[in-house]
Amino acid sequence: MKKSYGPMAAAASALLLAGVTAVAPLSAQTVLRLDEHAIGEIDPAKATDYADSMIFYNIYDTLVIPAAGGTDILPHLAESWTIDGQTYTFTLRDDVRFHSGNVMDSADVAFSIERMLALGQGFSSLFADVIDSVETPDAQTVSITLKQPYAPFVGSLVRLAIVDKDDVLQNLADGDYGDLGDYGQAYLSSTTAGTGAYTISSHNPQELTVMEKNADYFLGVPAEAPDVAELQYSIEPATLRALITRGELDIGDQWMAPEIKAAVSAEEGVSLGQVAGISSFYLKLNNQRAPLDDVHCRRAFALAYDYDAILEQTQITEDIAFGRRAHGPLPLGVLGSDENIPTGQFDLDAARAELEKCQYNPAEHEIQLNWVAGNPIQERIQLMMQLNLGELGFDTTITTTPWAMFTELASTAERTPHVSPVNFILTTPDPDSMLYTMYHSDAVGTWASVDWVMNEEVDRMIEAGRTETDPATRAEIYRNLGNMLVEDQVSIFAYELVGVFPIRDVVHVPALQDEGRTYSVQGMNFMLREMTMN
Amino acid sequence: MHLWRYFLGRLVGSLLVLFGVSILIFGVARLIPGDPARIALGPMASAEQVEMMRERLRLNEPVIVQYGEFVRDLFRGDLGISLYTKRPVTSDILSTLPATFELVLAAALIMTLIGVPLGIVAARYRNSGVDRAANLAALLGVVTPSFVWAIFLMLVFAFALDIFPIAGRVSRSAELPPMVTGLLIFDSAIAGMWSTFFDAVRHIVLPAIALAMGGLGTAARLTRANMSEVYDRQYVQLARAFSYTEREIAYKYALRPAMVPTLTILGLDFAIMLGNAFLVEMVFAWPGMARYGVEVIIRKDLNGIVGTVLVISAFFLIINMIIDIVVAYMNPRIRFQDQ
Repeated sequence: MKKSYGPMAAAASALLLAGVTAVAPLSAQTVLRLDEHAIGEIDPAKATDYADSMIFYNIYDTLVIPAAGGTDILPHLAESWTIDGQTYTFTLRDDVRFHSGNVMDSADVAFSIERMLALGQGFSSLFADVIDSVETPDAQTVSITLKQPYAPFVGSLVRLAIVDKDDVLQNLADGDYGDLGDYGQAYLSSTTAGTGAYTISSHNPQELTVMEKNADYFLGVPAEAPDVAELQYSIEPATLRALITRGELDIGDQWMAPEIKAAVSAEEGVSLGQVAGISSFYLKLNNQRAPLDDVHCRRAFALAYDYDAILEQTQITEDIAFGRRAHGPLPLGVLGSDENIPTGQFDLDAARAELEKCQYNPAEHEIQLNWVAGNPIQERIQLMMQLNLGELGFDTTITTTPWAMFTELASTAERTPHVSPVNFILTTPDPDSMLYTMYHSDAVGTWASVDWVMNEEVDRMIEAGRTETDPATRAEIYRNLGNMLVEDQVSIFAYELVGVFPIRDVVHVPALQDEGRTYSVQGMNFMLREMTMN
Repeated sequence: MHLWRYFLGRLVGSLLVLFGVSILIFGVARLIPGDPARIALGPMASAEQVEMMRERLRLNEPVIVQYGEFVRDLFRGDLGISLYTKRPVTSDILSTLPATFELVLAAALIMTLIGVPLGIVAARYRNSGVDRAANLAALLGVVTPSFVWAIFLMLVFAFALDIFPIAGRVSRSAELPPMVTGLLIFDSAIAGMWSTFFDAVRHIVLPAIALAMGGLGTAARLTRANMSEVYDRQYVQLARAFSYTEREIAYKYALRPAMVPTLTILGLDFAIMLGNAFLVEMVFAWPGMARYGVEVIIRKDLNGIVGTVLVISAFFLIINMIIDIVVAYMNPRIRFQDQ
């Protein structure tokens, strides 16, 4: 007897297609779906990356918060604070509860500081050599005494999440910290012990983090804010495009290729949101390696950089680009940035004139132009530099290094390439987080400081900015420093980076879509409680 | 009895290989440029903090001491903490391996169930239009990289035609079954959760086909080549003379000897797919281990690298061993070669 598989196949197909509709949404909750390139770390004492920060500012709160669209620091979990010499005394709100239901008090603040310093990860470097002691005279008061005057301290507190001491202590695992076991690392890598407007309902750091609205948030969460947010990680660009176009992803990440952003923004119901003023792109010149240890050669290099041509490459649509002209080392809007610092100019004749003053003969030096694998615009920039430096008589080689290799090269001046492209995003609203990390002699040896400036005057000014407490005087110090770094041409200040995010019209994101609502800290612009689902 | 002895020999050999791999990867991972502590902590960390992390990771101890401690922890099921995810490597791998294994298993099924019959048809109708069409299809499978298939399939069948989902392992709204094997399709079937089962099947179809295409072409070409060779043997001509049907000749006399070399290659392809799954996983946002493996290498996550390579090596060796035993079972000459 001849068997027929037709009916079976038809039944299987029908069942398979039935699966299309079988899995229906569980409820009428509003769900926001967004993505980020790297994985998410939810332990606030370890969080550093963009995705980490996006989660951080939704599930935890900090004593202070930067003002939207400005540089002021406003009270948040702290109602107010006073400064007496090197002692900062914070008065805490008394109406804040953790997700566990515990009331937040001064013991939680002290514990959060101790935990961050003990783990020595994340942004602990902002506090490690700064805090001398923490005292809690009563439940609503915390006094933090610093080892020396440190003006960026209050700004740095936007990176100190307040964790639920009791909850963490009840969930300790075995570890290296004596009675404190693992200091709650295992617990806080899978759940939240914060006060934030959202809680974690599931977290797989490589795939997806799901956050849900916290109905008991001390500031309240508007009904229009998303009920649930699904943050997905590491989605391939072609897939991202398909997901956004099909309405399966509401906010795309800023790392998508410009062509994809342009294509997606042409779709109905998709627009591009922007974040400017918190990051810049530099071509770092190795100030310790000949011929770039001579300021005239550095100036010649800066004059050989074709600013207009590269800015054209950053254009996504007619109106939106991911780069804009840089005025020195600080993005405009940051304390101490200076609109009057002239933007760079491409001028090969002027470059030749500078080379005349340089002690080195271009023909005797082979220049290494490096770019980090996976960044096509960096390759284009280095090809342009190769062409233009060739016009000046330099022999150049272009090298490509994986990220890990680049961090290794950056550890010594001798191995650091002559020219290295670097993006830097503000980690706190304070300019010190950018200038110290990139230009202070004590911070050399990392990917951020591949210019190897090592200039005593620069160090002195950065330190003056740290100890001066008057904002106006600090701004003046940083303006002077910015002018000096430009005059000394320690780097090529290529362009200010603008984060561009495709956004579907199902959601409105004020920090990305409204003028003057941007927060000057990475990740903070994704505070879900400020968003509105349509 | 002889098969058991053969199995034990292969097991001991595999364990020795695994031991060698562990030494090799432990050393090689440390040769990748970059200070893992510095990479993990970022540019703002002070030298003291980096040093503290190095101490915690035991990076300041001699490599031989580090290896000894690694082996000791390994026997306790502890592969250390990942600098990439900041979680135990063991739980990272356990949470991602089932997804990759399920994908590779589905791809291997497609590769075998389509590739081998395609080869049989091509061999039976040698030099006919069917043969040429099968050859062309097989060639297309071999020469086109899996990520091209992945993007093509995703754009056509998920994006344009909207027949299959674009990304993920299962719909977000799907109710997940209790974990038994970690394989979503199996677990949902065991639990009788049929809507989740079919949803998971719909999600796996495109990535599995994309991953299978290369191996499918190889399987078809190998089966055809091996069967064609057998078809030229005298005993096949004798079978024809005795009026056996072509179907009987194909399945009874030609396929079995032809399957021995084909099976060996299919087994290797199956194991290789575990490594190749990376790009397919990327395109379909499949939460598997291959993607994890690449990320840990880029970030010089020493524990992550060693853990991932060891698991893939173990997988490779297990598959190899199974194939060797199946082949030995099918071919007594291998079993008794030492007798």
